[in-house]
Amino acid sequence: MSAKPKILTLGWEFPPLCAGGLGPACYGLTKALSRYVDNTLILPRHEKKFKVRNVTIIGLNHVVSEILSMQSRKMDSIISEEINWDEELFSSYPLTLPRKAIQQLMISETRHHISKAERENLFSEKDIYGTNIMKKVAAYTGLVCELADDLDFDIIHAHDWITYSAGVQLKRYTNKPLVVHVHSLETDRVHPQSRNTVYEIERIGMLEADRVLPVSNFTKRCIVNHYGIEERKIAPVYNGYDADFNFNTRRTGQKFETLKREKKVLFLGRITAQKGPEFLIDTAKKLFAKMDNVKIYIAGTGDLKSHLEYLVSKNKLNNKIVFTGFLNKEDVKKLLSETDAYIMPSVSEPFGLSAVEAAQFNIPCVISKQSGAAEVLPNTLQADFWDTDKMANYLFASLNYKSLSDTLTEKTQVNLKDINWDSAARTVLSNYIYLLN
Amino acid sequence: MTSVCFYFQVHQPFRIRNYNFDQIGSSHFYEDFEKNKEILNKVADKCYLPTNKKMLELIERHQGKFKISYSISGVALEQFEEYRPEVIGSFKKLVDTGCVEILSETYYHSLSFLYSKQEFERQVKKHYNKVNDVFGVSPSVFRNTELIFDNEIAQYVSEMGFKGMVCEGVDRFLMDRTPNFVYESPGVSDFKLLLKNYKLSDDIAFRFSNKEWKDYPLTSEKFAHWVHGHAGDAECINLFMDYETFGEHQWKETGIFEFLDHLPGKIFTHPDFDFKTPSEVIETFPARDIYDVPYATSWADAERDLSAWNENKMQKYSLHKIYSLEKAVKKSGKKELIDTWAKLTTSDHFYYMSTKFWSDGDVHKYFSPYNSPYDAHIFYMNVLNDFESTVQKNSVKTFKGRKTAVRKSKTAKKGVAVA
Repeated sequence: MSAKPKILTLGWEFPPLCAGGLGPACYGLTKALSRYVDNTLILPRHEKKFKVRNVTIIGLNHVVSEILSMQSRKMDSIISEEINWDEELFSSYPLTLPRKAIQQLMISETRHHISKAERENLFSEKDIYGTNIMKKVAAYTGLVCELADDLDFDIIHAHDWITYSAGVQLKRYTNKPLVVHVHSLETDRVHPQSRNTVYEIERIGMLEADRVLPVSNFTKRCIVNHYGIEERKIAPVYNGYDADFNFNTRRTGQKFETLKREKKVLFLGRITAQKGPEFLIDTAKKLFAKMDNVKIYIAGTGDLKSHLEYLVSKNKLNNKIVFTGFLNKEDVKKLLSETDAYIMPSVSEPFGLSAVEAAQFNIPCVISKQSGAAEVLPNTLQADFWDTDKMANYLFASLNYKSLSDTLTEKTQVNLKDINWDSAARTVLSNYIYLLN
Repeated sequence: MTSVCFYFQVHQPFRIRNYNFDQIGSSHFYEDFEKNKEILNKVADKCYLPTNKKMLELIERHQGKFKISYSISGVALEQFEEYRPEVIGSFKKLVDTGCVEILSETYYHSLSFLYSKQEFERQVKKHYNKVNDVFGVSPSVFRNTELIFDNEIAQYVSEMGFKGMVCEGVDRFLMDRTPNFVYESPGVSDFKLLLKNYKLSDDIAFRFSNKEWKDYPLTSEKFAHWVHGHAGDAECINLFMDYETFGEHQWKETGIFEFLDHLPGKIFTHPDFDFKTPSEVIETFPARDIYDVPYATSWADAERDLSAWNENKMQKYSLHKIYSLEKAVKKSGKKELIDTWAKLTTSDHFYYMSTKFWSDGDVHKYFSPYNSPYDAHIFYMNVLNDFESTVQKNSVKTFKGRKTAVRKSKTAKKGVAVA
């Protein structure tokens, strides 16, 4: 029996504190892969008590000597699986970055040395992004290359642009194959035509990689169209999700429904341009014109929140659209259990885990075709993000025709079974094996 | 003697348009005129006209020995009249040869037998009158929508005066017996059943152009040879299929018209084989056994049951809803309202809502004018939403008259002593 492949995973966001989908995705995949590979994961910041079985986690916020001795220790079985969401972290999206050209970072062979104290400060900051993100990326890249001398691995697996420079440097230094995992693109966050620093880093990372793993076919097409990467080396890997077994996902209060009961539509996510909040307002207006007993709940925060509040006021929809603000996990679950329809009007969504999670709660979902979720959830109602007429028609139907919502949710429960991290891990593994042969 | 009996279904529904919720209450036009016209023209040019021409040629060539039958739905006839009257002309020519039988069915190609016997009868009568008007015939053989059949239907239809009906030869009820004889229904006398030979029928209708099929290509020689193989062990060989097989499901390029052209001649090469219409089969052959079908079968899908139309909740609810409006619609007495309502009973509407071939998201398996079964259901429900309020408005108008009637009966009841 051949030995398990040894993987060096370069991550950034990771539980317990998460700002978006990247953390849970990296965690889910790494955990599922641990059955099949020997994995060392390097993060800028790590909380020691958050362990993952069979995975060596190195947090750069710890001292280097500690890091090196940690490697040799076997991980015990204490596993902490709580993921917490921090409101403040959400406000740093999308990243506003300095315009300094940083391509040297990618092509230079020099190591960026920073002092121990500076490193500890840098990686202990609460915000693992922030305005000094490029400095963090440079420090991360340098440290990873230093550590590489003492690590044994067959393949480098880098998650999203922040780790690509480290991945590229490592590949040049060690000649090991590089896999880049694409959870997001700058062309989604900003604009399909944007060609800024982060775009360049993404492009170089994907060009140099031996395998590019986007989280959907949608993202694959974006990569081909906007970055010019050859299709042959791009292999989509759908995210899984962590099924919530702890909460009663059956919606309460359905038995004694009256026709007059007020219906709840939920939008859950960052209030930022990529998520299509302005289209949501347009859809809402069309829905309210025909339906009285409905309210739309916007759960989340972000750079466009105040603009959206302004639009709601301007359109006199204050009593129909509710801003819940940031919600913790328990509050989200409670809201989901009372939701009648879920809307995800994203302009460009690589995956869209929130839709998958909502689907668990037997909620009919109306989602944008420009999303990865649309590919894994065929039994949802899908429309182009700009087609607010259709979105409104679908919301109306989901809220008023139980025969429709029942059929959608029944069929979706079956689809959800195929969306799991083990399936993703096995797809990733097949790519590893391909590269090693 | 073994007789080949051809029956062809001719049907086009009035498809409803992409009726969005914002039109509820403001637009009462449900039909997709453009799409229906476009499809009718396409099928007329690819199938009905050229195939009718070929059939006429064959009848003349074989000097009246080649026989066929059709069932043409009322809604198809209406659309021919509206958009392509020459199609009716070509069917008339065929009927006038005396070699072509027209069967009876529900005018609106509906599932009404299963939901409202009253409506079923009304639709059958309406169709009967229509074909009488158009073709001058009085059908005596019945065919229910999509060959939906069971013992109860057989009983009912025979009581309506028909002498037989066509249905699917379903294995689980045939139980190793052959469909190639005439059967009868338990307890129903003077009523004969013609069972479709699905193997041979589907060889033409579905497998004809399938290059992966072990018997591809199907020539008329080959097919006639298979038919002749039943000599001595069959009295009728019932080939029932959608007429659109010729030119639409099987394109001209597949050679389907050449196949059709040579087929009768090849069948005739064996002296013990001929062609008969369903009526002729019924007159010639006695029922050889009982075909006991306790619950509904059809010619649809592998299951050959009703699941194509009422399997999921969307279908079940839509069917329940449309028939729940029957009483109010008929009470209004308004011809237009009744006609609109009846058009919404056409089986196709529910067929489009089927999720049987949809669940894994493979769009190539889903055939309908809509993008998904969900879209089909949403537009149908939006239409019903609007239609229902129209119906309610009409019943409010008659309310005043009814109110007094209700009061009267209430006072009358008060006087009744409790035993």
